[in-house]
Amino acid sequence: MGAVDLDQCDPDFVNELLQQPEAEKISACFGCRTCVAGCPMSAVNDTFNPARIIRMALYGMKEEILKSSFIWLCSSCYTCQERCPQGVRITDFMTLLKNMAVKEGHEPAGVKAQLKLTKGQGRIYPLDGFDNKKRKKAGLPPLPTSCDVIRELFPDQV
Amino acid sequence: MITFTINGKEVQGEEGQYILDVAKKSGIEIPTLCHHEALEPAGMCRLCTVELFDGRKTKFVTACNYPIWEGMEVFTDTESVTEGRKLIVELLLARCPDVPLLKDLGLKYGIQEPRFAPEGDDCILCGLCVRICEKMGNNAISFTGRGVEMKVDTPFHVQTEFCMGCGSCASVCPTGHIKLEDIAVHQVKPIPSEYDMGLTGRKPIYVPYAQAIPNTPAIDRDVCMHFKTGGCQVCTEFCGVDAIDHLQQDETIELEVGSIILAPGFQPFDPSKLTHYGYGRHPNVMTAMEFERILSASGPTLGHLTRPSDGREPGKIAWIQCVGSREEHHCDHAYCSSVCCMYAIKEAVIAKEHAGADLDCTIFFMDIRTHGKDFERFYDDARNKHGVRFIRSRVPAVETVRGRDELSITYVNERMTPTTESFDLVVLSVGMETPEALTELANRLDIDLTAGHFCDSPSFHPVATSREGVFVCGAFAGPKDIPQSVVEASSAAAEAGALLKEARNTLTKQETFPEERVIAGERPRIGVFVCQCGINIGGVVDVPQVRDYAASLPYVEYVTDNLYTCSQDTQEVISKVISENNLNRIVVAACTPKTHEPLFQETLVAAGLNKYLFEMTNIRNQDSWVHKNDPQMATEKARDLVRMAVAKVALMEPLVETELEINQRALVVGAGISGMASAMSLSDQGYEVCLVEREPFPGGQGSLLFRTWKGEDVQMNLSQMIDKVQSDPNIDLRLNTELAGVEGFVGNFKTTLSREGHEEQVEHGVAVIATGAFEGKPHEYLYGEDDRVLTHLELDQRFIRNDPALKEMKSAVFIQCVGSREPDRPYCSRVCCTHAMESALHLKELNPEMRVVVLYRDIRTYGEREYLYRDARMAGVLFIPYTVDRKPQVFLHEGSLKIQVMDPLLGRDVALTADLLCLASAIVPYRDETLAQMFKVPMNEDGFFVEAHAKLGPSEFATDGVFLCGMNHYPKPIDESIAQALAAASRAVTLLARGTVRMSGTVAQTDPGMCSSCGVCLAICPYSAPAVLEKGPFAGKIEINPALCKGCGLCVASCRSGALNLKGFGENQIMAMINEI
Repeated sequence: MGAVDLDQCDPDFVNELLQQPEAEKISACFGCRTCVAGCPMSAVNDTFNPARIIRMALYGMKEEILKSSFIWLCSSCYTCQERCPQGVRITDFMTLLKNMAVKEGHEPAGVKAQLKLTKGQGRIYPLDGFDNKKRKKAGLPPLPTSCDVIRELFPDQV
Repeated sequence: MITFTINGKEVQGEEGQYILDVAKKSGIEIPTLCHHEALEPAGMCRLCTVELFDGRKTKFVTACNYPIWEGMEVFTDTESVTEGRKLIVELLLARCPDVPLLKDLGLKYGIQEPRFAPEGDDCILCGLCVRICEKMGNNAISFTGRGVEMKVDTPFHVQTEFCMGCGSCASVCPTGHIKLEDIAVHQVKPIPSEYDMGLTGRKPIYVPYAQAIPNTPAIDRDVCMHFKTGGCQVCTEFCGVDAIDHLQQDETIELEVGSIILAPGFQPFDPSKLTHYGYGRHPNVMTAMEFERILSASGPTLGHLTRPSDGREPGKIAWIQCVGSREEHHCDHAYCSSVCCMYAIKEAVIAKEHAGADLDCTIFFMDIRTHGKDFERFYDDARNKHGVRFIRSRVPAVETVRGRDELSITYVNERMTPTTESFDLVVLSVGMETPEALTELANRLDIDLTAGHFCDSPSFHPVATSREGVFVCGAFAGPKDIPQSVVEASSAAAEAGALLKEARNTLTKQETFPEERVIAGERPRIGVFVCQCGINIGGVVDVPQVRDYAASLPYVEYVTDNLYTCSQDTQEVISKVISENNLNRIVVAACTPKTHEPLFQETLVAAGLNKYLFEMTNIRNQDSWVHKNDPQMATEKARDLVRMAVAKVALMEPLVETELEINQRALVVGAGISGMASAMSLSDQGYEVCLVEREPFPGGQGSLLFRTWKGEDVQMNLSQMIDKVQSDPNIDLRLNTELAGVEGFVGNFKTTLSREGHEEQVEHGVAVIATGAFEGKPHEYLYGEDDRVLTHLELDQRFIRNDPALKEMKSAVFIQCVGSREPDRPYCSRVCCTHAMESALHLKELNPEMRVVVLYRDIRTYGEREYLYRDARMAGVLFIPYTVDRKPQVFLHEGSLKIQVMDPLLGRDVALTADLLCLASAIVPYRDETLAQMFKVPMNEDGFFVEAHAKLGPSEFATDGVFLCGMNHYPKPIDESIAQALAAASRAVTLLARGTVRMSGTVAQTDPGMCSSCGVCLAICPYSAPAVLEKGPFAGKIEINPALCKGCGLCVASCRSGALNLKGFGENQIMAMINEI
């Protein structure tokens, strides 16, 4: 990949981030890699690297971060936040980035679809008679196949 | 005295003694099982039964508790006695077939298989445990039951609360039957030895460690049994000099003093609260302090590198850095502890030396901080020569591996992905912290502390505290290593000395000595004193025999033996003996001269003899202590040693101690911050100083600096210093002046100063070299080719001038380690990381919108300077690491200054434009060979001066009377320069204050007639003592200056002409000793 041109990066993005309580300490990061070492996602997918993401944020690489798919890999296990020697709220920061991405309309298609389904149907996976038959066989009580109450929670979703 | 016979041999004993006591002393062996020297004898085992003939009939008695009477005849080896012993052993062996002690006894008495049915017990009912518990004042166990049911047990046969866990029963049990867990209700643990970091136990009465001062045992009242029960006191019974008093109370003493120096130190961080490292849970996770004890030859494993869980040698060891330092989240220690990087590297290198090069040592770090003198080279060698692995990744946790006794560490590799590796042993490099009790003490004393709870001092008064008259030194003033602590110690002494200078010598007492007797022409009359040293020598060597043997040696006129030759009353006896017997030479055969030689020499002087007419021979450390198991040979060796000592001392002549007058003026070379501080300290302590500076103005590099790391204004403080120096009547400041030549030696230097062609000679007693260093000019990164590229000092000039152009800058870049830590300059310039932080923060202050980026290899903001690093990050300064093999590229592009560097975390290059590029250029020494030769002081390959000892003599040279301070020793910031300047002054005052100094009489001397002028002694002497004679009949030959000679003997050994002789260890004396072996 080409060099990151710091002159092109967005200083307002950094300022905006630092205003948020979740991100107020990200400047304290000194790249010790404790978070990466403990991260279960980094171990299996090297596109997710919390220290790298924080650095990209500090460089002001707004587009690259918010449009990325890797910020969505954070499993919210909180290992990094628990172990960070500087007290950076890494997991909360990832959540903040995810929220910012959604606001700008960059959430991945899968996430978008999940959001739509949850708001519309009340659940991600459909539940029908077939599932209830299996439940009956296992001695479990049946579950409702529709979730009408969701219409009260999100009236503008159809 | 009662006289009787044992086996026909006449022996003597005191009234009330038992047969066994007298037999032991006479070297007659009687076996025992239930006897213990601390307990009254009980006659339980009957093994010591002997035959007794009272004149009419024979009876059998137990030797341990049968009192002696006049004329009795005892037989210990008759057939009946021996058969009796055999039967006892056979019976016991049948009862306890598996006890090792009994099996050995069985072998000794030729018993193969007992004739009786085995019982599988392991207690021989000797009663030692019961008796000692009673002695302890406790009675937690006793004999219970009767006849064949008898056994040792607790009340009601359950674990008892009465047991205090003292362990005496288990320690005296000869068979191993006693198990403390069966007796005590609570868990019994050894008392943790503080010195061995709890890795071994210690007794309630203990010597804290081998080098403790005083080197005497102490009693820990919290665990001593006497204080719990009123019993025991065995220690008091055994002490031969009644030194133990259990009634001692704590005393509060009030002292009136003029000044206080605080040197209370630190405590190592306890990593138990960092649960993710597993300390306290996994036996193979230990602190670095515990590892030090394991490596130490005097430690719990005697220096054998084994791991706690199974005693096996580890194959892979990991060090985790920054445990309890640079850590704000889990503990309150945001500072850097300064020493852990270096000690971890040292431990890794030494571990490999102990265990072999195959040992895999890995250090996990964030930054490697080897910023001390010669430390960077040590780091390079650790990597390149010793193969220590360094991995830049902090370790979050230490985990166990299922099914294997290994520890697993997950870290980030060069590809930025997590990797897991197993290790046999994990060492936590724990940091330093101030103990809570010390923080409270500081509050009580009204001493201001820093955020990290260390003593707060201003940079220009580095050992001062917030309270006048109270000074501080060492780790309490901030985490630091030994060389820096020793510098501060001398510095604090200088400050206290300046405060108290009026009172100097008012409380000292002068000792008067009698006139020295002239013994020339007298026949040697030698007195020999052989010491028992309690039982240390007397318990192995037959001291009376050695004494009597000494009397037979030529020239020996008086002999005696003493229980403790070093005691005060014995000194008086020796004095009396010398005058009554007209002795003119003394031999003491006792311990090592290192302990008491000066004491005995004082005794000789008090008796009117020259103190060199004395020879001490070591029959303790070199004889009784190492030949404990062979008393006969030990005695013979003692006789040999005494014979040799007598032969040597017979040839001893009185020696003269040169008295040196110390000229009371000091010369300080260099009027930078170090030179001025040194001169001021010397003046404050009451001495005249000639302060020489070759530039037209004082201040040195200080005139170019903006602020200290604590934010103090350098120029303002510097001008205050200059004002003080210029107005001080004791200081003669010579600007524009250079040194043209130096003659003389300690106490009597004559230095020629040269100013604009005009020469003048100055006489002085001591010299302080404070010639400093300078900022090198970089040869890379477009320095000198573009105005926007500056060095730190050049940037500081802009800060001082308050250059308005700085505010307009949009982007500033700092590059660290420019010219330092490279093959042609493999040292760290120590100050640049901190300086970069100050400058970066100042730029952000001027313009918060400015983008400031620092490109670094390792950030070395040691100690509480680490807070600056954090402040910089929080202010938005960006930090990008680079490696020496992939340096940042700096180039011009369409008139703009562009910088490109590989960001390893991103895995990509980062490019930016800079309006300002500030290079951390190396600090370069002046390499003034001429000056070095003038004072005969050495310089290392980097061009810095070589101090007498890296740790114990950092501010002085091996050459007497010459001292050093400041950057000519090694790059350092202002506070450390001033501390070292004061330290140099302090060391100089130890000479100046005495006025005259007596140099040792055991110095080398040349016979110029034999000297072949080969110059080998000149080259080999570390103290510059030999010099070539300029004039006279022996011009061209070598003469040794007795004022500088330390009597090391190097020249004597190296002289191929036999022209050199070491007085006090003359060739004739050494040959006489060899002839007597």
